[in-house]
Formats: sequence, structure tokens, C-alpha cells
Amino acid sequence: MDDILDEMTSAQDLKKFEREYNITLLNGNLDPKVQFQYAWCLVRSKYSSDIYKGILLLKNLLDTSSMERRDCMYYLAIGHARIKEYNKALEYINLFSTTEPGNTQIEHLESLIRNKLREKRDRNGSLIAIAGITSLISIFLMKK
Amino acid sequence: MSAGPYNYSYIFKYIIIGDMGVGKSCLLHQFTEKKFMADCPHTIGVEFGTRIIEVAGQKIKLQIWDTAGQERFRAVTRSYYRGAAGALMVYDITRRSTYNHLSSWLTDTRNLTNPSTVIFLIGNKSDLEGQRDVTYEEAKKFAEENGLMFVEASAKTGDNVEEAFLETAKKIYQSIQDGRLDLNAAESGVQHNPSQPGRTNLQGVLSVQQGGKDSCSC
Repeated sequence: MDDILDEMTSAQDLKKFEREYNITLLNGNLDPKVQFQYAWCLVRSKYSSDIYKGILLLKNLLDTSSMERRDCMYYLAIGHARIKEYNKALEYINLFSTTEPGNTQIEHLESLIRNKLREKRDRNGSLIAIAGITSLISIFLMKK
Repeated sequence: MSAGPYNYSYIFKYIIIGDMGVGKSCLLHQFTEKKFMADCPHTIGVEFGTRIIEVAGQKIKLQIWDTAGQERFRAVTRSYYRGAAGALMVYDITRRSTYNHLSSWLTDTRNLTNPSTVIFLIGNKSDLEGQRDVTYEEAKKFAEENGLMFVEASAKTGDNVEEAFLETAKKIYQSIQDGRLDLNAAESGVQHNPSQPGRTNLQGVLSVQQGGKDSCSC
């Protein structure tokens, strides 16, 4: 792995923090810290369903709890970037930057996300070009 | 930090740990960017940096995990210790409390890494001599008693920063050469790059995988 977006939670950690979260949930005294820890592991999972769940938990914390907003925004950006929702990730980066401009950690993440977005656009551009050429060849062959 | 995809023989994983505000991220920044970050906000979770260095003519890529020092992150940052070949344990020479907490950081490191992990103690902010709260001698003694390497450094002036990262790598490399570090162990924190031309595989290690994503250059 070469950047923060490639890094993944181990299954063992995910299980451990899921268990803690479920216990506090069942006891009816959900601790925002426990929810954050679980969400932090979920957005680093290799399964997108876990990442979606992590995003929901972080959004819930951002809207309702006294958890540090910067922590939630940072990992919401990572979560969205990991499921290739780069524009949503950038929205959280912008939100973060309004309260804390010039933070190097967030700037580092932003440049990673912008690179991925550029790669995605280039890839899509190439696919459209290939599709275009293929259609032209098909039309040419059909006319023959 | 430019290098071709496989332009290194090994990857070493490092972690940087210690209380909040001791200057962990500033040390990393000084090492990777050769610049001092004057206004360094608290790290969220973990930050990541890389740099390729050279030890005994071998190019080695350092993958460095800089962990947040704030207590609320500690439960999760513990998972980053696993598989670290080097641990830089940092305290602030102007704040005794950060020195007093070293035994707790050391306990975590010993419990969560493997016996061959090189632990390097760094007394940061050595430029602030007038505000010194921990003497060099007592920290040196603590390091010797616990078998740690030790320097006082300054992320601000850059003094001894390069040395700490490089000496750690030299010690790890020495452990590989001596056969004390088992490259076959899943959590050695060292990956050998089998595709590097002109290299023989130490200890017959061929299976240390270079993941697909590792092939990007940065």
C-alpha cells in the first residue's frame, strides 16, 4: 500500500470494535467514542457495505453528538473516497477547511482524492473514446 | 521521493508514537519534506508518509505511520503497531509528563510488536534548551536500561531527525543480515522486493509479496 486510502482494517479489529459497539447498543448507553471507533474501522474495511455503514455512523455522530467534528469529517472524506464517491469526499474536505484552513493532513488527503478523481476521469474518457471508435467501425462494416 | 515502481529492495514499516503535542507529525514532516511545520494541528487518527533511503547500498522504502497522540484515538491506533519493524517513541524534553508516560508507550510497543522490532527513543524539541525539563542523562539511562536507541532531536532545526530514522533502518537491516529478523514471519514489518534486479533473496525469501498497489511511485 502506498497511501492512506489503501490501508485496511483487519477482520480481527473490525470484529473487536463491532462487539464493543453492539454491547453498548444493547445496554442502551451508546457511547459516541465507541461508535466512532467502530465507524473508523468500518470505513477502512475492504467491503463497501461496511464502508457505507461506517459513513452512516459517522454522519449520525456529526449531526447529533459532541464528538469532535473534525474527526468525523476527516473519516467521512476517507469513507466516501474509498467507495469512489470523490465529489462527496471533497465536500467534507471543503467543510473541514472552512473551520480549519491550511491543515496539512487534510491537504494531503485532498491531493490524493483529486489524483484519484483525475485518474477516474481519464479512464472514463478513454472508455468513451474506445466505445466511439468501436461504433464507427461497426457502422463502417455494416455499410459494407 | 521520486522512484520507479520497484526501485527499492525492501519496505520497512515504522510507527511513530508518544503523547500528544510532542512533535511526532513535525518529525515526520521534517524527515519527508525537510521542512518545519510551525503550526501543527493535532493529528486525526493516523497520518502516513513515505521516503526512500539508502542503507549499505540498498534502497529501502520507509512506510511511516504517524499516530495521533490524543487518548481517544489510542484504542484504534494500537492496531497500527502490528507488523512494525521500527518504532519511534517520542517525548518532549520541555514537558516531563510526556517523559513520565514513556513506560506506558513502551509496554504497548513490547506487547503489540515482535521481539525484533527496533525501538528508537527521541527526545524532541532539543532547540528549546532554556525550557528543558528532562535531562539528557536520565533519558539516556532510561534508554540503556530498556535496550532502546536514543537521541535528542529537533523537528524545528532538523537536528538529529535524519539520524533517528536512518539509524533505525540500519539496525533493522543489520538484523536481516544477521538472520535475527525472520523475513518469513508475517509481522516482521519488512517486505523484500523480489523483483529488484541483482538481488539475491535472503533466507530464501521469495514469497514476500509486493502488492499490486505498491507499484505506484511515490
